Amino acid sequence: MGSDLLKRIGLSIFVLFSLSILIFLIARVVPGDPARLALGPRAPEWAVENLRKEMHLDKPFYAQYGLWLAGIGHGDLGKSLVTRRPVSADIREFLPATFEIVGLSALIMALGGIFLGVLSAKYSNSWFDGVTRIISYLGIVTPAFVWAIIFMLIFGYVFPIFPITGRLSPGFEAPTTITGMFTLDSLLAGDPRTAWDAFLHLVLPAIALAMGGLAQAARITRSSMTDNMSKDYIAAETAYGIPPRRILMKYLLKPSLIPTVSVMALDIAALFGNAFLVELIFNYPGLSRYGIEAMLNKDLNAISAVIMVLGLAFVTMNIAIDILVGYLDPRIGLAGRRN
Amino acid sequence: MSVKAKKLLIFMVAVGLIVTSLTGYAAKKKVEVKPEDYIIRVTEDWPTYIDPAVGSDFSDSIALVNLYDSLVFPQPDGTVKPQLSTNWTVSPDGKTYTFNIRKGVKFHNGDELKASDVEFSLQRMMKIGEGYGYLFTSTVDSVKAAGDYKIEIKLREPFGPFILSLVRLYVVNKKQVMEHIEKNGQYGEMGDYGKKWLLTHDAGSGPYKVKEMKMEEYLLAEKFDNFWQGWAPQAPRYFKESGSVEPVTVRTLVSRRELEITDELQPLENYDTMARLAGVKVATFFNGHNLNMMLNTKKPPTDDIHFRKALSYILDYNTITTRIYPGSKPSRGPIPFNLPGFDNTIKGYTRDVAKAREELAKSRYADKLDQYPVELTWCAEAPEEEKIALLFQANAAEIGIKVNITKKPFGSMIADAQKMETTPNASVVFVAPHYAEAGSMLTTRYHSSSTGTWEQMEWLQDKEIDRMIEDALATVDQAQRFAKYARIQKKIVELAPTIWLFDQAERRAYQANYIVWPTAERASKGKIFTSVMGYDQYAHDMKVYPEKRAELLQK
Repeated sequence: MGSDLLKRIGLSIFVLFSLSILIFLIARVVPGDPARLALGPRAPEWAVENLRKEMHLDKPFYAQYGLWLAGIGHGDLGKSLVTRRPVSADIREFLPATFEIVGLSALIMALGGIFLGVLSAKYSNSWFDGVTRIISYLGIVTPAFVWAIIFMLIFGYVFPIFPITGRLSPGFEAPTTITGMFTLDSLLAGDPRTAWDAFLHLVLPAIALAMGGLAQAARITRSSMTDNMSKDYIAAETAYGIPPRRILMKYLLKPSLIPTVSVMALDIAALFGNAFLVELIFNYPGLSRYGIEAMLNKDLNAISAVIMVLGLAFVTMNIAIDILVGYLDPRIGLAGRRN
Repeated sequence: MSVKAKKLLIFMVAVGLIVTSLTGYAAKKKVEVKPEDYIIRVTEDWPTYIDPAVGSDFSDSIALVNLYDSLVFPQPDGTVKPQLSTNWTVSPDGKTYTFNIRKGVKFHNGDELKASDVEFSLQRMMKIGEGYGYLFTSTVDSVKAAGDYKIEIKLREPFGPFILSLVRLYVVNKKQVMEHIEKNGQYGEMGDYGKKWLLTHDAGSGPYKVKEMKMEEYLLAEKFDNFWQGWAPQAPRYFKESGSVEPVTVRTLVSRRELEITDELQPLENYDTMARLAGVKVATFFNGHNLNMMLNTKKPPTDDIHFRKALSYILDYNTITTRIYPGSKPSRGPIPFNLPGFDNTIKGYTRDVAKAREELAKSRYADKLDQYPVELTWCAEAPEEEKIALLFQANAAEIGIKVNITKKPFGSMIADAQKMETTPNASVVFVAPHYAEAGSMLTTRYHSSSTGTWEQMEWLQDKEIDRMIEDALATVDQAQRFAKYARIQKKIVELAPTIWLFDQAERRAYQANYIVWPTAERASKGKIFTSVMGYDQYAHDMKVYPEKRAELLQK
């Protein structure tokens, strides 16, 4: 297990390194002069040239990459052309904001998806299963930004019960930064009122983001459980007189969750990237929106940093899935083989 | 139905009832007027740079006019009135301007504004070279404070519209900026010239001061009680500019009375929907911008003047201004009709199929049209432009010209504009003046110094036009300058380097029930006025009535 984990970590580092070269290259071959874009069409050429030098754009690609890599070693991700400040400061500000949404979204996705999946399996082929199935299909085929618009129209426009933009309502002060997550930081500062307000700001974007994954988790859990229900070991446990609820929760659910967990973990990692339209609609200052702004403005350092953070999220979630699956079924090792 | 399924159904009904009662509670909640309700909130495309030496975009300009003062202030008739300067004189050679600075003007930190601050601000803008700095780098030779209340600016050459360009010289507090300079910057002994600090703080004397600046989110500014012009009753206590321009978000915010003035970027149907909300109106006014189809005059087949004229005559302008951009006005030439210096005698081009055929017949490409399709690019960020591109394609097909359409992000269009070879035959682009006079647009659109930028994809490079523009700009007398502008406009129209599509009508929805917005009032009376980017949102001159807002919310 230990050596397998080390191998996976080593492989992940290699993947991230390759990703860094790829994104560094792609960002630079896309047409457009980032310095000119940043300073505007009327800025004098000397000002543009100064910025090119500052960003090392006057150097060959390999030298730029080397400098960038050396910067990372010192925690310096370069300067953003959009926010005009260090990218590391931007990541520190925007990543926790997205993490907050993704965290709540993942929670809703996991609890809601598994809950609906279990109920659907238990009452399979009933009216409830039918309704859940329709809802699931709707959830899967509808993009997160459409849910965002629907929720905004229902809970922001028709029944204005949730805040619809930003992280805090007017009159609330941002808490002192500890984690960067307003709900958590406010609670740590002993300010439940601000924490509640920050939480309310998360509800609509988090649900909108969770809908696709939730529906998928519900479908996979249901399928997996109904498959396992017909297995011999379930029949044997029933014959032994073990109560149905115990069979469901202890012997049926755990192995049935393996495919759900595998898919859900990747869904959660993908939320970081998919959140951009939701963040845009709710004017939420998160990392995904920052990434899109960076791409539209050819903000090279910010693009590289955001992609690396997303890459890191994916490889981390991949390793986490493997560990979790190993826990759910000890026969499955980290290397993917059955022991 | 099984017992468990029934229990589940009961549970879901109970949840539904709780949600319904919550919404009922929310709807009936009593709305009380709070101090923070004396606010004007606007939306605009983001990011926003509030440093006067960095910002120059729409959102930047709105922020800058509210945080800073300039030497002069633009007027609806296209002139300027004294602001920080009480009066000024111009030397006989038109190269030296001397301004007397208003006494007793306080910066937000309490320091008095002096001539040395003006000197520092102008030098800073020119040294940094970003934002509106270009207005001065090419014209100003030197600036010097002569005592505490007098400033002398020397120009390299006489520049007639110089006074107009000073609406963009926003004055910062020298002492305060110097206190926040970061040593390791790119400007030598000036370090970073305070750029990092001024990203999120202000050092101005304007009617509002920064309370909170969240990059990527919003600017919240608070009324400056000691503002030298004083305050009218009902003036907004807060001014907030935020980056939510998504149509559904904007519409929802307007319906919740959480947004007083929208951005100008909304789709037409969104304005129509918002206009149906109680107390909401849509202000429409001409902002001095125009939409152009820039024709590359150095690339076949648009290098042929008759071919260009054929294209100019074949387009159905009426459909554009009535169906695609309703409310806009067909352009009559390179200068929008409400910009001072516009030549009112110009006829421009209108749809005339017979003339289009006649011009095409004179073109050297007339008998080989199949070999020379017109490559047209439109800007992906302006979706309505696609309709214009398709209309143009259909119109051109009537006379046998093939048009290939490409959608590109604006960033790629800028990159294409850098070389003649990569600039397409036709590019659809909005253009705005940099100061409120025809000379601004004539320079950025048709002077050779502008080729290679997105503002001049025509590659006109006409020495005679260059000379005429330079001569007009060097003319200090306004009447003479305007006469010269008129001659330039006629000449450019004759060369047909551009298909001038329309003069843009800017639309913004606003809460007419509880705010007073002078620009909207002027527009509603049908007055034609000159609009200078950002100054339409000068919150100091607005009024807000929160109790009327509360009434709307309780309905």
